[in-house]
Amino acid sequence: MNLGIEIGKKVLPNPVGVASGTFGYGSEYEKLIDLSRLGAIYTKAVTLKPRPGNDIPRIIETPAGILNSIGLANVGVELFLKEKVPYLEKLPCALIANVAGSTPDEYCEVISRLEASDSIWGYEINISCPNVKHGGMAFGTDPVQTGKLTNSLRGLSSRPLILKLSPNVTDITVIAKAAQDNGADAVSCINTLVGMVIDTKNKRPVLPMKTGGLSGPAIRPVGVAMTYKVSRAVSIPVIGMGGIFSADDAIQYLLAGASAIQVGTANFIDPGTASRVLDGIVQYAEIHKIERISDFHSFLD
Amino acid sequence: MKQFVSRVIKNSVINEHFLEMEFEWNTTQVPSPGQFLTIRVSEKTVPLLRRPFAFSSFDSQNKSCSIIYQKRGEATEALSQKRAGEKIDIIGPVGNGFPRFEGKEALLVAGGIGLGPILFLSDSFRKSGVPTTLIFGCRSKNLKPVSPSFERENPVICTDDGSEGFHGTTMDYLNSISQKTGPGSALFCCGPHPMLRACHNFSTKHQIPCYVSVEQVMACGVGACMGCVVKTVDPPGFKRACKEGPVFRSFELEW
Repeated sequence: MNLGIEIGKKVLPNPVGVASGTFGYGSEYEKLIDLSRLGAIYTKAVTLKPRPGNDIPRIIETPAGILNSIGLANVGVELFLKEKVPYLEKLPCALIANVAGSTPDEYCEVISRLEASDSIWGYEINISCPNVKHGGMAFGTDPVQTGKLTNSLRGLSSRPLILKLSPNVTDITVIAKAAQDNGADAVSCINTLVGMVIDTKNKRPVLPMKTGGLSGPAIRPVGVAMTYKVSRAVSIPVIGMGGIFSADDAIQYLLAGASAIQVGTANFIDPGTASRVLDGIVQYAEIHKIERISDFHSFLD
Repeated sequence: MKQFVSRVIKNSVINEHFLEMEFEWNTTQVPSPGQFLTIRVSEKTVPLLRRPFAFSSFDSQNKSCSIIYQKRGEATEALSQKRAGEKIDIIGPVGNGFPRFEGKEALLVAGGIGLGPILFLSDSFRKSGVPTTLIFGCRSKNLKPVSPSFERENPVICTDDGSEGFHGTTMDYLNSISQKTGPGSALFCCGPHPMLRACHNFSTKHQIPCYVSVEQVMACGVGACMGCVVKTVDPPGFKRACKEGPVFRSFELEW
């Protein structure tokens, strides 16, 4: 099977990546798994300034899931380039920087600085952040904001530009189209779902920010449905994610229309998941006479 | 640090609340006191996350390790059902562990389920000739662990209800021997947060170093997700309990 996946002008070595926020900056897992098997590492979100992250607790387990409110804790773009990229660039996988910001200018500034490094394969833009210049509404809930941001970033780089879509919207296909129409090379979906856990003993939300992002097996059907809808609304590749714990889960996404997938929460439970998923996809492809990723897309209407 | 499948050697109740599980340790990476491991207790999606447990012993001859744990929810309930010969999925050793100590006297304070790492530390100090006192506190004598690994360390037992040993908390006992502490003494503690805070206050009052091992809910356990952080004051910010910890100098943390 041909495992190469075209995104924009480049080709991912294989369709299995690890999701932003679940894999740190790569080195944390080097003693546990063979990093060379990964198709892509989507880094922890890179913001203009370093961010310490939210008050604790930041995580709580929910039925078949995790609610997180990490708060985009990261070292900031300068230290990312100086301290994290030198390790990441030695790996054979695509180094995709996930980028976050609170204003369009911040995103643009981060991309401009990352352009200076030859080792960054492409960008995944986190649009689930509130735009503080627009009343705190998340970029990714508004097709106009999404379109404008995509357009600005497109002008700054010819590298693969992937917009990471939020599921917390009325119609994700509208956002996906805005991204495509403004030059995105691909979209990835889904980011986390908004959720809340209340401690009934002390009658307060467990997380200090009250709500958090839900990930894990519980959200997989939502991810698959949104991947199905988005892939029929746009012609650019869709990278699917949300609760992938096995090759079978990943294949659901591929059949739904995804051209690549990301393993996220599963990395916490079994770091070997991405590698197993890749093997499982290859095995399935052999049995079902699938020669390239696009063949997966011919089975569902 | 490695991920591997181990086998349970023994899994027994050691008092009303606690269990001690001994399991094979066939990897060359030797755990040190204060370090921990994470166990995936089930292949199902509930419970989901791996759970962290501090090492309570390492036996190089037997090639085995132990943990002391209590049943808190579904994951630890499932762990308590494991029988000798059953497999367990382990990632470890992780965490920084307690530092080497070359001082005059080590005061080890363990409260409740904080016993495990302190027991390991006590064994290690005793074997390297460090004068050590292990102080263990619990509510009542039925919560005193019944286990050779515990009795071997000649612990001072403190019970809140006075049913055995010293009548009072570990802090009450510590205060009663405070004149004996001085330069060259150090505190090593693990237990409920209020106990750790009291140890920290004791250490600043008597000007002796205090090392605390903390507990936090964890997702990845390896330093990638930034979920398990504790708040620091020196310098102000956050540190990961799984990577920069779980052992910290008490003055670093926000109390």
